[in-house]
Amino acid sequence: MTVLAAALLFTSCNDYLNEKPKGKKIPATLADYEAFLRDEYDVHRMDVGQSAYLLNDRYLTNSNASYYPMYAANYNWDTSVDRVYYNNSDETTYYAAYSGINYCNLVIENAPTATEAADAQKNEVVAYAKVLRTMHYFLLANYYANTYQSGSAAETLSVPLITSSEVGASYTQVTVKQIYDFMINDLTEAIPYLPDMGTTILHPGKGAAYAMLARIYLQMMDYTNALEYADKALAINDKLIDWNEFYKANKSVIDSESSAQTSQTPLGFNCVESYNFNDGSSSSGARINNMPQWRAKMFEDGDIYFKCNWKLYTVGSETYYRGITTGTINYNGMRTVEQYLIKAECLARDNQLTEAMNVLNTVRKHTVSTDKYESLRASSVSEAIEYIRREKDNLLIYSIVPFADARRYNAEGIYTRVLSKEKDGKTVTLSPSSYMWTFPFPLGAIKNAGNGSITQNVAK
Amino acid sequence: MWLITVTLCFATPTLHAEGLQPKNLVTLSLHGESMASALKIVQKQSGWKILYVVDDVKGYTVDANISNATVEEAVAKILSGKPFTYSVKGNFISIAYKATKKQDKTETVVNRLRQISGVIIDESGETLIGASVNVPGSPYGTITGTDGRYELLIPENCNDVQVSYVGMHTSMVKVGRNENINFVMTADHTTIDEVVVTGYQTLSKERSTGSFSKITAEDLQSKRMNTISSLLEGEVAGYNNGLIRGVTTMNATKTPLYVIDGFPVENTKMGAYGSLEEGLPDINVDDIESITVLKDAAAASIYGARAANGVIVITTKHKTSKSNKTDVSFSTTLTWRPYKMYTGNMADSKLVVDLEKEWASQNTNLSGNNAASYAQNLLDYKVYPSAGITSILNYYAGNTSQSDMEQTLTSLSSKGYNYYDQMAKYAKRDPLYQQYNLGIVSNTGKNMFKTDVTYRHDANEDKYSGNQWLGLNLANTTQFTKWLSLDMGAYMKFSQDNAQGYDVMSPGYSVLPYDDLVNSDGSNYTKAQNSYLSTETVNLIKKYGLYNLDITPLDELNLNTTVTKGFNVRAYARLNIELTSWLKYSASFQYERSSYKYEQIADKQSIATRNRVDNFAYDKNGSAVYAIPYGNIFNRRDQYVRTLNFRQQLDFNKTFGNVHNVVAILGTETRDTKIDMHRSQMFNYDTDMLSSGTVDETSLVSGFTGILGNYSYLQTTDLNASYENTNRFVSVYGNASYTYDDRYTVTGSLRWDRSNLWGTSSKFQNKPTWSLGAGWIISKEKWFDAPWVNYLKLRVSDGIGGNVSKDSAPYLVASYYTNYNVGGKYGYVSSRPNSKLSWEKTNTFNVGVDFAVLGNRLNGTLEYYNKKGTDLLASTMGVPTEGYGYSTYTINNGEMNNRGFEVSLKGLILHSQDWRISANTTFGYNKNRVTYVNVKAPVYYLALDYASAYPTIGYEYNAIFGYKWAGLSSNGLPQVYDQKGEITSHQPTNLESLQYQGTTVPKYNGSLGAEISYKNFDLNILFTYAGGHIMRNVNPAFLTCSYSRLGYITNIASASSALAGRWQKAGDEAYTNVPRAIFAESGYSASELYNVYYYSSQNILDADYLKLSNISLSYHIPVSVCRKLSMQNARVQVNVENPCMWTHTDQAKYQLGGYNATNYMVGLFLNF
Repeated sequence: MTVLAAALLFTSCNDYLNEKPKGKKIPATLADYEAFLRDEYDVHRMDVGQSAYLLNDRYLTNSNASYYPMYAANYNWDTSVDRVYYNNSDETTYYAAYSGINYCNLVIENAPTATEAADAQKNEVVAYAKVLRTMHYFLLANYYANTYQSGSAAETLSVPLITSSEVGASYTQVTVKQIYDFMINDLTEAIPYLPDMGTTILHPGKGAAYAMLARIYLQMMDYTNALEYADKALAINDKLIDWNEFYKANKSVIDSESSAQTSQTPLGFNCVESYNFNDGSSSSGARINNMPQWRAKMFEDGDIYFKCNWKLYTVGSETYYRGITTGTINYNGMRTVEQYLIKAECLARDNQLTEAMNVLNTVRKHTVSTDKYESLRASSVSEAIEYIRREKDNLLIYSIVPFADARRYNAEGIYTRVLSKEKDGKTVTLSPSSYMWTFPFPLGAIKNAGNGSITQNVAK
Repeated sequence: MWLITVTLCFATPTLHAEGLQPKNLVTLSLHGESMASALKIVQKQSGWKILYVVDDVKGYTVDANISNATVEEAVAKILSGKPFTYSVKGNFISIAYKATKKQDKTETVVNRLRQISGVIIDESGETLIGASVNVPGSPYGTITGTDGRYELLIPENCNDVQVSYVGMHTSMVKVGRNENINFVMTADHTTIDEVVVTGYQTLSKERSTGSFSKITAEDLQSKRMNTISSLLEGEVAGYNNGLIRGVTTMNATKTPLYVIDGFPVENTKMGAYGSLEEGLPDINVDDIESITVLKDAAAASIYGARAANGVIVITTKHKTSKSNKTDVSFSTTLTWRPYKMYTGNMADSKLVVDLEKEWASQNTNLSGNNAASYAQNLLDYKVYPSAGITSILNYYAGNTSQSDMEQTLTSLSSKGYNYYDQMAKYAKRDPLYQQYNLGIVSNTGKNMFKTDVTYRHDANEDKYSGNQWLGLNLANTTQFTKWLSLDMGAYMKFSQDNAQGYDVMSPGYSVLPYDDLVNSDGSNYTKAQNSYLSTETVNLIKKYGLYNLDITPLDELNLNTTVTKGFNVRAYARLNIELTSWLKYSASFQYERSSYKYEQIADKQSIATRNRVDNFAYDKNGSAVYAIPYGNIFNRRDQYVRTLNFRQQLDFNKTFGNVHNVVAILGTETRDTKIDMHRSQMFNYDTDMLSSGTVDETSLVSGFTGILGNYSYLQTTDLNASYENTNRFVSVYGNASYTYDDRYTVTGSLRWDRSNLWGTSSKFQNKPTWSLGAGWIISKEKWFDAPWVNYLKLRVSDGIGGNVSKDSAPYLVASYYTNYNVGGKYGYVSSRPNSKLSWEKTNTFNVGVDFAVLGNRLNGTLEYYNKKGTDLLASTMGVPTEGYGYSTYTINNGEMNNRGFEVSLKGLILHSQDWRISANTTFGYNKNRVTYVNVKAPVYYLALDYASAYPTIGYEYNAIFGYKWAGLSSNGLPQVYDQKGEITSHQPTNLESLQYQGTTVPKYNGSLGAEISYKNFDLNILFTYAGGHIMRNVNPAFLTCSYSRLGYITNIASASSALAGRWQKAGDEAYTNVPRAIFAESGYSASELYNVYYYSSQNILDADYLKLSNISLSYHIPVSVCRKLSMQNARVQVNVENPCMWTHTDQAKYQLGGYNATNYMVGLFLNF
């Protein structure tokens, strides 16, 4: 009797045991996969912490400096510190980028076979994932590896290229050329399937894809293509935040003596400049980063954008500019302001100085206090680039752009800049040729490499 | 001393079993052999049982040649010419001293004798053959004959006789002037003659091959019936801290499986965020009849995929002594626990003020031109809001004079442990636990009904914390016909737990020992908002008219209380059909349902609510808008657990040809557990109207900039969330044992489990668990000839048990939530596909010896085991390049070994008329070793902070690693050795610099208990101990830092008292290992130096301890008094729990709970 019952149970129990967990599910439909692209924590975080410290865009407190030797080394350009050895406290850049890449891979691999959707919808979702994946690769390639130089790109190692989301997927650390080819190819493949603007701000549309191509070509010093794609992007969106208007709306907070109160950033999800949205190191809202006093001097007099975002602050023995806007800030998504400034640079490179300055002044009208605004003119390419770069470094602060630009200028060797500051009564400098312009891969990624291997691109 | 010594040379399961032995003829040749051994030889050759009193036959020798004689002839020949008679019944021969002779001998001593007689029976009414009746301290004694009768001459003035029998409790019987005294003896379950209950069947312990430890209600009498784990403490070798035989898993369930009256009972609940938590099962502890702990594979692997951690089988009381009788028992206990807080390891006011002064003198910002503005800045931002530093800063800022400052500091430093003293006085109380139990068992022959009610009321030390519960157990067994019976039962529990949410130890600001709870005028102290919040924050609160954030701790006590109400039901029915005398079928079904309602109301006046409302206020045209409306904040969780268990089983039990016994079971079992929980939060909740205010969920979740400068947002799941978990198992199991001649036993078991946890397609679904075992009762061998050994059994077993992780899945699983920022749903991968998921497999090899010697006065068990776990779910660090750098996930690839041995001994040391002294001890040694794991800590700090997530091969799973201490440097900094053996004050970041420090799980533990009875008094003392393990000092002699707007700042509030012995000047390093006080502003990397010290071998404590865990003194009210009150017996008992603990250091004692308050219990136990 029991044996019989057992036999019966075992044949009929498969359904009984196929009970699937509630509150979670096994993705099957296109909507199930598309939802991954709305996951800010895993897909949209892009951290440029160390480049912000290296550029002194971000203030490092004394106690953090003593806590994190590598932060202090980058911040004070201290070549005595082995950053490879200490790189176990800064993993977010690498980990968050590959997390985003993994999700994009998951969507690219599975969306074509997902259920409940037409091919056009599937192609569109895959295209979003390809643009997002490119944005992560661009950040990685310009953080952990040498910048693009046409002469050496095919020989220089870049970052691991992984295109599968499988457990134990294999990958290769490709060359700089390969990674750039891969990015351009992905974007080119994606563009035909994309709407001008994506389903939501988290979905990069054609605008974001063109903007990304402009950024990539600029980084490759291909100014013709960069200009072409910047124009294409601006054709889709050319709105700019008017910081004068923002100041008027938030005057009481911005003008108050104390920095206790903050105003809601205009760089949030509804930012008019955005083609798409990507977070910084955190996907939840906070004050915009603090800035050291000497870096604040690099803003032009009357910069209302600066006034809206930072205020001098002393606590204990430390004084710095404290962030006074809060919110979830679009640090790393594609924005119109970058495209204006790419356009301006490309025009300047082509010696169309007036046109270049016109584009720059269009931006400046939005960022310089109305009562202090005067149009800028440039008498040389170098002067034009000087002005354009200042604006770009400030307006795209805490994104990969100022760092990538600096590396590009360093590689080009013409418009280079030596960073210099006082530290404990001594002058410290960072030269354009310093090894510090490339960050070491985190130890965790090297030691726990999975199905592939990674070689450090920098000695220390 | 005249010790009672009825010796049944072999302990037999029952003396009433007859006819099992063939009547063999006896041949022997004796020359000056002692009579005892002669009789023993006859017994062995014949297979008969011969009963005699050892002291009677002492001194008699035998010379005889006997060949091919019957047993009677042989006995007659041995006894011939000696003052003995014998009688025969069945296979028993009773030998009695011819009293006449003895009487002659003693007549000169005692003047007059009188005769008493009677019958001695056991609880079931059977007569007892060979029971001893004697007058303690005198030569008068006899044993009962084959009809259970005795006749005895006793001195005229004798009032008491002692009755004793193997397997029964020895008792003193009042004789009075009666001539005819009949007596009922009660069974003593402490002897080896017992059965073991596995939950699936009841086995004769003699015929089992597994490792079982059994504790009966009587063993537990000396303890307070508190929790199952407190009952087991010190009673079972190898049981420690809720675990059986150490830790055998890394990520799956660690606790044993509990089985109550045949059914597994899991108390799995969900935490606030849906994680699964295992608890002890709900049961009326007073209602426990016995607890059997199944330790090895032969005992436990019948439980299949959940057997690896051992199984604890509990049976509740449901037997009465006789038919047509009702037993009523009542007990009550009252436990008092005087409140006590240990402050010995905390800095007192004087040390705190000294450290605050040192903070100022080391802070270079307080010298030079900017000192005043720096001091004022710290005051404005309330970076250091303590009274001491505030007064120092006021002086530096020029707000007060130096003498004012000094006066303030002097008065603060004289306040000792003021805050904690006031806390004890005004915020705490002495916990008091009340417990009442009423049990009724009624047996009408065909029907047995039982009910048991327990009510508990606990008042905890926090004034608004306490709980009460009512447990009701009902059971009924009906014997419809000779072959059909039905068991039904239900257990119900109603409970309410109140938990005070406000903790006076962390009142919302950091507390220093000189702080107050009560002002000098007796009113409650208020921490004003401007004394702990920055001036700019306070100004904003005032400007916008936000709710003020003053904190009055004593008013907060009842403003944030959580009430959890539980209702649990467990009902079962079991139908037993006796198909033949040797084959039974049973079908059983159990249904469990638990519901929990958890309600937390943060009162609108509480600081928690005011703080939250203010932080969620935003500016609209210059005035405040409250995104969270002001009012009570109501958090509610509703949870339901439902478990079904259905089992069908065939039981086979037959003896062939008198010597071949086969016992087997075969069955199927289906088990289904579903837990679901819903959580919600409501704002501005009106407790009378039951209404709540509305909020804009979208803006709360996407967040906004608040007036106080923070970006404020809630998680989606903070507002409401639902969780569900379903576990299903379908199993087929069977076991069989074969016993030959009661001497040799082999057993085997096999079980298949399938579960939804592993996915149906998994090839691991069909892996069975199994066990094999063999037992040999050596003392039953004919050739065995050691008269002092009463019982000796050797058993060996091997087999595997499983263990599961209840929240793993074999396929890619994603979770989905609303994205409030852009709309739609967002999804993330909650578990990556794990196609190799399976249950964990633990192979246990066990060898055990059970013995009883010296007339059963000493019995015990020795065991050796080797538990080898494979396919253990081990944590693996995700591959960063695959996108899982911050994830750990589990795969079945860990391996771990537990080897150990266990000893338990029970001995009767002294036994006389008034005295009975016995002792027992348990000892367990366990060596744990991780033998394989495919994960290595990626970086040093993970190895330090999460040692058990990154176990190291070759060491214990709970091993901890640290730096080797190298003393203090010449300027008082902590130093350790790095991987090259060089001394450094920098934290070595290389994994090789980490050295093994020890394990946090005891390598050995045990207990020593003594029971001393004098007349009606019983005194029980139980010591427990454990050792071979270590722990980190959680109060290191080093100031901690915390993050503030200034960066890291020093926490002087939590300073250790050991800082009094700190390095203060050059040369101190020669005699102290306590580093200098290092402050965040010192310029030293305070957090790095803290890590150097905290993770050094200097901060490791030896965790060995010896604890007096229980003393109980009970007084049995004399039977004569009880009878007048129509009671069977009554007892008053006083217990003292955990009065003393001995450790190597005070800090170890503190961390092991040795300074926790002692419990004092008084109890009354009545049986009608």
